[in-house]
Amino acid sequence: MKTDHYDVVIAGSGIAGSLIAKTLTRAGKKVLLLEAGLQAGVALDSDGAYNNYMSYLDRFYNAAAKVPNSPYPILKDAPTSNVLDVVKLTPGGPPPPGYLVQMGPLPFASDAVRGPGGTMLHWLGTTLRMLPNDFKMKTVYNQAVDWPITADDLRPYYEMAELEIGVSGEVSEQTYPDTPAPKAYFGKDYVFPMHKIPQSYLDTEIAKGVQNMTVKLNKRQYKINCISTPQGRNSTPNAKYPYRDVIWNKAEKKLKLTGLLGEKYDYNPVPSIWDAYTGQRCEGNASCVPICPVQAKYNPLKTLKRSNFDHLTIITQAVASTINIDEKTKEVTGIVYKRYNNPDSPEYTTGVAAGKIYVLAANAIENAKILLASGAANSSDQVGRNLMDHMVMLTWGLTKEKIYPYRGPGSTTNIATFRDGPFRSEHAAWISPFDNWGWSWPVFSPGSDVSDGLAMGLFGKQLRDYLNERLTRQFLLHFECEQSPDPDNRVTIDHQYLDPLGNYKPIIHYYATDYMLKSMEAAKTVSDQIFAANGIEDHTVYNPVTDAGYVTYKGQGYTYRGAGHIVGTHRMGFNKHDSVVNHEQRTWDHPNLFLAGCGNMPTLGTSNPSLTMTALTFKAAEAILKQLEK
Amino acid sequence: MAGKHTRDDGTIRTLAELKSALQNAIELEHSTIPTYLCALYSIQDGTNQKAVETIRSIVVEEMLHMILACNILNAIGGEPAINKPGFVPTYPGHLPDSDNSFVINLAKFSRESVDVFLKIEKPATTSEPPKAKGYQTIGQFYQAVRIGLEYVNDNTPGGIFTKDKKQRAKQITAEHYYGSGGQIIPVYTIDDAREAIAEIVGQGEGIDDTIEDSDQQMFGQGIEYAHYFRFNELHEERLYKDTDTPKSGPTGDRIVVEWDAVYNMKPNPKMDDFKAYPELLEKVRDFNRTYTLLLDNIHNACNGQPDLLMKGVAMMYQLKYKAIALMNIPVPGTRYMAGPSFEFEK
Repeated sequence: MKTDHYDVVIAGSGIAGSLIAKTLTRAGKKVLLLEAGLQAGVALDSDGAYNNYMSYLDRFYNAAAKVPNSPYPILKDAPTSNVLDVVKLTPGGPPPPGYLVQMGPLPFASDAVRGPGGTMLHWLGTTLRMLPNDFKMKTVYNQAVDWPITADDLRPYYEMAELEIGVSGEVSEQTYPDTPAPKAYFGKDYVFPMHKIPQSYLDTEIAKGVQNMTVKLNKRQYKINCISTPQGRNSTPNAKYPYRDVIWNKAEKKLKLTGLLGEKYDYNPVPSIWDAYTGQRCEGNASCVPICPVQAKYNPLKTLKRSNFDHLTIITQAVASTINIDEKTKEVTGIVYKRYNNPDSPEYTTGVAAGKIYVLAANAIENAKILLASGAANSSDQVGRNLMDHMVMLTWGLTKEKIYPYRGPGSTTNIATFRDGPFRSEHAAWISPFDNWGWSWPVFSPGSDVSDGLAMGLFGKQLRDYLNERLTRQFLLHFECEQSPDPDNRVTIDHQYLDPLGNYKPIIHYYATDYMLKSMEAAKTVSDQIFAANGIEDHTVYNPVTDAGYVTYKGQGYTYRGAGHIVGTHRMGFNKHDSVVNHEQRTWDHPNLFLAGCGNMPTLGTSNPSLTMTALTFKAAEAILKQLEK
Repeated sequence: MAGKHTRDDGTIRTLAELKSALQNAIELEHSTIPTYLCALYSIQDGTNQKAVETIRSIVVEEMLHMILACNILNAIGGEPAINKPGFVPTYPGHLPDSDNSFVINLAKFSRESVDVFLKIEKPATTSEPPKAKGYQTIGQFYQAVRIGLEYVNDNTPGGIFTKDKKQRAKQITAEHYYGSGGQIIPVYTIDDAREAIAEIVGQGEGIDDTIEDSDQQMFGQGIEYAHYFRFNELHEERLYKDTDTPKSGPTGDRIVVEWDAVYNMKPNPKMDDFKAYPELLEKVRDFNRTYTLLLDNIHNACNGQPDLLMKGVAMMYQLKYKAIALMNIPVPGTRYMAGPSFEFEK
């Protein structure tokens, strides 16, 4: 079966796919969107969207382990990674069960959602931009690679991304190391669409002791800088924010920010996809990961909903498998997909989606898999390589005074101090978000605290008092260490490992270089100083037996966890020998094939990648429109 | 306090009459809210999804209309009065200054209450003259207000819209107000005022012989039906299709309305009814105190402290929890449950 001929065929309806679909259909282009997940998930009418989302919530409420993927359907025919499958690997042993075939020596610890809206359904919502030096790691620190674009090049696209996602934050508070002051870095009059989400009580209490304290690291002194974190969840609109939409300007051949409604009305936060009465403000439900119950947190279905549906066709339950390539012209001629009726049955029909231009937006691991399975875009031998994540080291302790965690979004403040600095020539940079949700991540609080209390023989008022003392003083700090690209951290495929539809399962090879281990050592030194200076009783335990991500460095043990930031597998670069795509996100090898998503990022920086990826996707959409209108 | 300056023929000719009519508008919009909230809160959790969605969406739009009326009144130098005993209607009662042709109640969700809702939201017909007093439909009332605004503005040198900075800062904007479905419109000019009235009437009655409300046309929102037609879906237990008209009635899919999955709330309860039961009385009184505090909050927000509105959100949640708690308490010796009485209680 062959589809009609479209202007553009896109695989994947996460933010990259949805954003391209929206931008192109609104510019009048005919788009076909393939989505591997269930039909129900793409419902955008009021009743359908509401009922489907409520089914996600029910699944979440009923799940024993509230992991990031717990609200979303598990599909045998479109399987995905799950943090519950991340276990300690035995050297030389067979890979453990799970979608990712983990060859080690260390496990890759992040997961993804495979369904309409993609992994941003369970993102935390942090929307930090990358810093200027993040784009030139080779030049400045002789590490990794430079990007073919600079922070300045990306600025207009960052602004588009901040409108699309709906960022709440205070520009004036965004002071970063080795970066021009906010007025210079963001532009003199620039503001985010909404004011910042109020920082939590915990944040203000902790910051009292931490802000401006001096820590020593490798003989240098650093003054700690705690700042509010910009995020993609709805807050009070900023009356000074001028933009309402991003429009394709045919004459200038550019995407442009415009004020659609003029100056008259303030920016209106984008509500839930099921009605306009829900989700215009964050309500502090504190379950952002895995699911915002009111959709005050941005998700890509909000973008998809604003597409022009006269020009958009969506085929769901259609798993992109391979791409067809004309051997002579190197042009892509179709995306082969397998369409299932029942996600638990191995039966499927094969279709070929045909268009002028093709976009793979299926996530970094899936994109790499499809390219490898098709022998496509790989003249540089970089497809599947340089798989990265933030390696997250956690430290946790009890404060002297009660700080009342478990309120509000996951994180509203971060320590920006170690996001950049000369140390990057020695070890990785990191960002340290304060965590608002107690010790839930490392030790599954508050359930584990109840178990501990019961084990101590406590019940009734004594148990309540014990919990009251303990839960209210739980402090958790992250160290999200920027993983450096390494060609041996990679995705491969093998006929031995197939899913029920006969598509490849990704084989993952993953390890931590000394550059990373050294950053964990450094981060722990910083954590120790912060805890000691503020009377925080350290309860951090890195368990060599039970922690899947346990590593040692200079005789000390550390545990890393996945950040859900799957990046780097089809990097952007300067030429066809060093990379898979160019700065417009077009593959060097195939003139009508674009790749979208975090796989294009040559390095990771210390910001959560969603905002940067969205900015790059606007760049891709612009390049596609230019190519179509040539 | 209603009707102090209104002419018998229902027209508006002076600034005082206009301010009085806009105060009436605020009271009119408010008077429907307790009525709708009782029906909404009486529906048992997890049932009647369509009815809950319908009533909730409409009641938050009434709240928007109330604030829009405050914005217009502030724009012409008035002072919305919201936290006075007379502001709260007595139930059973009539829409303030209407022709008293039907009675509104504090009552559970039922066929009878939906009948009343249809009367409240009934679209105006062209044959009825605009009237700010003795009106039959809310559309008639707002027509008179709009004509009055234009008349008084045209006949006042320099117009009636305030240029005073402090007075202009009393407008409630999108910074303070959200979740209403429609568009909060700050009012500084006659055009803004016209637009605000068009929004109120458009959401309630719909536009030009269609079943749709005005938000798509005015603000590019998704298609939504006007209040009357949304209630009519419950009444007829059948959905409208996009091709339906007011005349055709709903011809879409049947819906199930679970008329029995409702707390049997005592109609039009009063604190006096519970004198014999001090604990229950205290709970009703507590509800009323919260309600009165909320009116204080909205009053202050609309009189120069718009930031306060955000703090009212927590009180609105309190009100809901307290109302539902009451509906779970049987009134001794009757087949009824207690309920919120919406009385002014300092």
